[in-house]
Amino acid sequence: MDDQGCPRCKTTKYRNPSLKLMVNVCGHTLCENCVEMLFVRGSGNCVQCDTPLRKNNFRVQLFEDPTVDKEVEIRKKVLKIYNKRDFDFPSLREYNDYLEQVEDIVYNLTNNVDVENTKLKMEQYQRENRDIIQRNKAKLTREQEELEELLLLEQQSNEQRRLEVLQEEQRQLQAKRKNKQALLDELEQSQLPATILLAQHKVRASQLETQIEQQKQTVKPTSLFSTGINMRQTVSLLPVPQIEDILYHYKPLQVQTYGPTVPELEHLSRLGYLNHVRAALPQDTAGGYTSALACYRAIQDAFSGLYPEKG
Amino acid sequence: MYHNSSQRKYWIFKSEEELEQMRCKANQKFRNKTLESGKHGVTESMFLERHEEDVLFRHYERRLLDFCNAFKPAMPKSVVGTAAMYFRRFYLNNSIMEYHPRIIMLTCAYLSCKVDEFNVSSTQFVGNLLQETPAGQEMVLEQILEYELLLIQQLIFHLVVHNPYRPMEGLLIDLKTRYPVLESPESLRKSADDFLTQAAMTDAGLLFSPSQIALTAILNAASRAGLNLMSYLTECLGLKDDKEALSKMCDTMRRMKNLLKKYELPKPEEVNVYKQRLERIHAEFATSNNKRKRGYEEDGHVAKEPRLVEEEWTDEDLM
Repeated sequence: MDDQGCPRCKTTKYRNPSLKLMVNVCGHTLCENCVEMLFVRGSGNCVQCDTPLRKNNFRVQLFEDPTVDKEVEIRKKVLKIYNKRDFDFPSLREYNDYLEQVEDIVYNLTNNVDVENTKLKMEQYQRENRDIIQRNKAKLTREQEELEELLLLEQQSNEQRRLEVLQEEQRQLQAKRKNKQALLDELEQSQLPATILLAQHKVRASQLETQIEQQKQTVKPTSLFSTGINMRQTVSLLPVPQIEDILYHYKPLQVQTYGPTVPELEHLSRLGYLNHVRAALPQDTAGGYTSALACYRAIQDAFSGLYPEKG
Repeated sequence: MYHNSSQRKYWIFKSEEELEQMRCKANQKFRNKTLESGKHGVTESMFLERHEEDVLFRHYERRLLDFCNAFKPAMPKSVVGTAAMYFRRFYLNNSIMEYHPRIIMLTCAYLSCKVDEFNVSSTQFVGNLLQETPAGQEMVLEQILEYELLLIQQLIFHLVVHNPYRPMEGLLIDLKTRYPVLESPESLRKSADDFLTQAAMTDAGLLFSPSQIALTAILNAASRAGLNLMSYLTECLGLKDDKEALSKMCDTMRRMKNLLKKYELPKPEEVNVYKQRLERIHAEFATSNNKRKRGYEEDGHVAKEPRLVEEEWTDEDLM
C-alpha cells in the first residue's frame, strides 16, 4: 500500500491518507489533484502513454492494481456488445466457445495485444449482430426492471410491517396511560376506600397485560416461506431415480492352512483348552487381552502347514 | 500365519541337494567375479572349497548362538531363532568369502532384535561385545549399520520368520487337552527344547514348516521317554484316513532326524586353518567394502547430521 502513489506528483497514500487515485481507459493512474490540473479543459493526453483521454472518463481506482480497473472498464464495454446468453446458442459447447472468445478480446484489449485487429473484430461483430444485440439489450433492461420492481415491493411491505408494529406499541402505551389516569380520577372522586380501588386497578392492569400478550401471540399467519415459495404450493418432488446395482455378496473367507482344522476361538473354553494355559491377570485384560487369544494363536501356529506338501 | 507367509512361499526348499546347489552357485559366483576382475596373482587354490566354507559357516553360526545366549538382557528364543535363520538365508545366495560372517552374524542378530520386537538400543547391543573396547564397539556398530540394508535386501525384505517355538507350545496345549492318554506332556518339554535348539543349527528351517519341526521335536522326545504318540497323529491330527499323508509325515520326521544326526561340530584345528585363508581372501579382495561405505554416506543415509540439527533445534526452543 505504501508505494501506491501518483506517478506525476509522487504523493503517496502514506503521506497523504486522503489521496484519491484515478484511472482512465489506458490503465495508468493519476491522483485527483493532478487530474484537476491537467484536464482543466476536459481533455488531454496521458502522462505516461500519451493516449488522448477525457476528464469524465476518469474513475476512482478501486483495486490496488490499476490494470484490474482498466479491465473492469473494458469488460463492461465489451459485454455491452457481446451480450448473448446461453439460450441464444444451440449447444453448450458453442456458448462456451463464445465466452472464450469474449475473454480473449478482453485480455487483448487490457494487455495491448493486437489492439487494432481486436477492435476491428468487435466492430464487425457489432455490425453483423445488431439485431440480436438490440433485442438482448431490451430484454436485459426489462429483466432489470422486473427485478427492481420486486425489490421495491419487498421494501414497501417491510416498511408497512414496521409501521404496524409501531402503531400497535403506541396504542398499548396509550391504554396503559388511560388506565393510570382513571385510577387517579377514581381515587379523587370515589367514596370507596383506597385499598379497594387499588385492588380494582391491579385487576384491570393485569387484564390489559394479558390482552397485549394475546395480541402479540396472534401473529398473522404468513403465507410465504422466506425463499418466496407459497406455503400451500405443492412442489413436485420427483422420486430420486433409483440406481440399480449388483449388491455385494459376502463370501466367507476360505484359507488353506495345510493342516488340521483349528477349533474356533469361541469354543476353546468349552473344549477345555483354556485349562492348560496361564490365566490372564487382571492387569493383562485392561488392553483387551484374554488367555484364549494366546492359546488360539499357539494352536493356529501348531497346525498351520503341518501336513506334508502334496506331490 | 505361516500358511500364507513369505517363508512358506520363498524360503522352503524341496531337498538338501537343492540347498547345496544354491550354495555351490554362490561360491562359484564369487570365484568368477574375482577372476574376472583381473586382479594380479589370483589363483584357484586361494579360494575356499564348498566343504571348507561349510565348516566356517557352522563355526560362525555357533558363535552367533553363543553371542545370543550370553546376551544381556536375555534374548527370547524366537529372536535367536530368527537371527540364526537370517544368517542361514543370507549365506544361501552369498559366499562367506564375499561378506565376512563375523559382521553379518552380528547384523543378523541386530536386525532380528528389531524385527522380533526385542527392544535394545544399538549402543546397548554392541555393549555385549565384551572383548571390544568402547572405540572398537563404536566401529562395529558403524559396520553393522552399514551392512544392515544389504542384509535386508538379500533377505528379499522377507523379515518375518516363523519359528517352531510357538507351534510347540500349541502342540503341548493340544496334547494336554485332547490326548489325556499321555500323562505328563510337560516332561517332554526339556528334551523337545533340546531338539529345537539342535534343529536351529541345521537346514531344517529351510526344508520343513515350523509346525512339522515342533511335532517332530515332541514325538522324538516321547520316543526317547519310551512313549509312542502315533495314535495322537491318527486320532487327533486327522491323519487316520489319509495313509499317504501319514507315511509322508513319518518320512518327513525321519529326514529331519537324520539331518540332526548328521550335524557335527566343526573341528577347531580345521577352523583355524580355514579362518586364516578366509582372512587372506578378505584382505585381498576387501576393496569393495570401502566403496560401498562411501556410497552409503553419499546417499545421505547416515543419520548423524540430521540428528545434530535436531538437537540444535531443541536447544533453541528451551532457551
